[in-house]
Amino acid sequence: MATHAHTEVSLRRRRSYSSYVMPAVATLLVALLIAWLVVNFVKGPAYFVTIGFIGLTNGALYALVALGYTLVYGILELINFAHGDVFMLGGLFSATMLLSVFHLHAHASTLALVAAIVGSLLVAMAACGILNAAIERVAYRPLRGAPRVAPLITAIGMSFILEDVAIGWKGPGYTAVPSLLPTGPVFSVAGITYTWEKLIVVMITAPVLLLLVWFVKQTRQGKAMRATAQDRDAAAMMGIDVNRTISFTFILAGALAGTGGLVYALYFGQIRYDTGYQIGLIAFTAAVLGGIGNLPGAVLGALLIGFIQSFNEGLLWHAPGSDWTESIVFSILILILVFRPEGLLGERTPEGA
Amino acid sequence: MSAQPAMLLELKGVETYYGSIQALKGISIEVREGEIVTLIGANGAGKSTTLRSINGLNHPRKGTISFQGRDITHDAPHSIVKRGIAQSPEGRKLFPRMSVTENLEMGAFQRSDRGAIREDMERVFTLFPRLAERRTQKAGTMSGGEQQMCAIGRALMARPTLLMLDEPSMGLAPIFVERIFETIVEVNKQGTSILLVEQNALMALHVANRGYVLETGTVALADDAKALAQNPQVRKTYLGEI
Ligand SMILES: Nc1ncnc2c1ncn2[C@@H]1O[C@H](COP(=O)(O)OP(=O)(O)O)[C@@H](O)[C@H]1O
Ligand SMILES: [Mg+2]
Repeated sequence: MATHAHTEVSLRRRRSYSSYVMPAVATLLVALLIAWLVVNFVKGPAYFVTIGFIGLTNGALYALVALGYTLVYGILELINFAHGDVFMLGGLFSATMLLSVFHLHAHASTLALVAAIVGSLLVAMAACGILNAAIERVAYRPLRGAPRVAPLITAIGMSFILEDVAIGWKGPGYTAVPSLLPTGPVFSVAGITYTWEKLIVVMITAPVLLLLVWFVKQTRQGKAMRATAQDRDAAAMMGIDVNRTISFTFILAGALAGTGGLVYALYFGQIRYDTGYQIGLIAFTAAVLGGIGNLPGAVLGALLIGFIQSFNEGLLWHAPGSDWTESIVFSILILILVFRPEGLLGERTPEGA
Repeated sequence: MSAQPAMLLELKGVETYYGSIQALKGISIEVREGEIVTLIGANGAGKSTTLRSINGLNHPRKGTISFQGRDITHDAPHSIVKRGIAQSPEGRKLFPRMSVTENLEMGAFQRSDRGAIREDMERVFTLFPRLAERRTQKAGTMSGGEQQMCAIGRALMARPTLLMLDEPSMGLAPIFVERIFETIVEVNKQGTSILLVEQNALMALHVANRGYVLETGTVALADDAKALAQNPQVRKTYLGEI
């Protein structure tokens, strides 16, 4: 009895301790972060904004991949670890299409460039959509009734298989895409330069994101997805074909990953079997940061991580630098999981966001 | 016998399991066109499992289920809805983050006659004025009674031939219970056959044409509702008489 009472008291004390200290620490960290950003901005405003543009571009790319994690999690409560690798294969498909099918080179005409990009985009979206749905069909659906850890393990297994496929296809080295996008300035004002290749990335991603939001909100198939995500049995009782809806969600997530793959290949110019692992980790963190299962949350999380990464790697005054990016991303992931598991935009509901 | 209305739903020797646990041990029931049929019985007797066997969420391992003369024993849930069976399930199962209107729209998911869907929604709002006041409220934030009305309204939006209701009066204040039973009778008068699962055996037998008493996965008694209500064994066990 005495020990019991003692534990209870110390537990209560610890809770009140943490309820003061943690917000204080968090506030301090955020204040330091803001101070650091402000000092950097003051020291070189034009440079700061230019770095910000890099963050926006990367963030847009991450959003495409993060949405795939969040769509699948929303409907199956499964973290699709193979998603990053579907993205990577989308990059390899795109590189192959651009170079071997459309025979693009650095001095192609604008018309040839646009045609090749649109053509490769459609192929990458279709291929990754079908691949992702096939993965669900063979690796996740048979385990629908099994304990949750089972599909999680097959997801990790699928991730390895896809990386091996990539090595078998392209070898372990980088597949290079020569810089095809124009890199000249769109505008250059007061020392701030915004270049074409960054605008093109946004021109590809923004319509895809808007189309997705419209689709999920307004269409019959989108409503079926939302209903299935909220209560699978009830959705079936409304006459929704639940299996078809889940397949469709994987096609959509795959198509977004394919878009991301193309953008990555064009913008970063090299891609290999483990690219999906790195980008997948960042995108997954973005999805959790925004609130996994929440579509606007995934975009917000992706943009924030894009900015965090670019400021960390690009700013001049006391930036940790690119060696620290992965550690910082991982730390963010841990902090969210511990202190706000529902993410920035997720709801604190009993049945999850 | 020619006076009897046509057979709508027929279960023959249905055996349904949860994993290795057998919940139904050979259930045979029928619903004819225009009828209200009630399933009563203690907690765990297998009433909800019977509905889950019919709606395709838990297929029987043995026995057959036919609807309008067609075998639907192993059909997928969504095609069973298309055939004309809708339900308000146990625990209501609304879409918690959708509004009342959106939930009702989901009820009409397999229909495409937009004009008629809008009319039906207005009918539901007339039936349950309380829901009309809460059109835009998220279903998950409503009270139990309001959620129950929304679940019944959602099932009606499918314009079903057969409406299945699993404990529609569960946990409701008496005034709501009355309203729900009135609605059941009204919907039935408009031509919908009803399979009603109830704990409230007295009310259920009062509105039903026929009834089945389930006991541990089998049909213990089957009779006209009036006869069941007079049955001494039923009165003792389910109507709380001594
Ligand atoms: N999900 C389930 N898993 C295992 N057993 C279940 C499940 N649901 C119901 N059962 C069992 O099946 C039997 C019938 O349950 P149910 O159909 O819910 O009864 P009722 O609706 O008449 O209260 C009970 O013994 C119950 O314990
Ligand atoms: Mg029940």
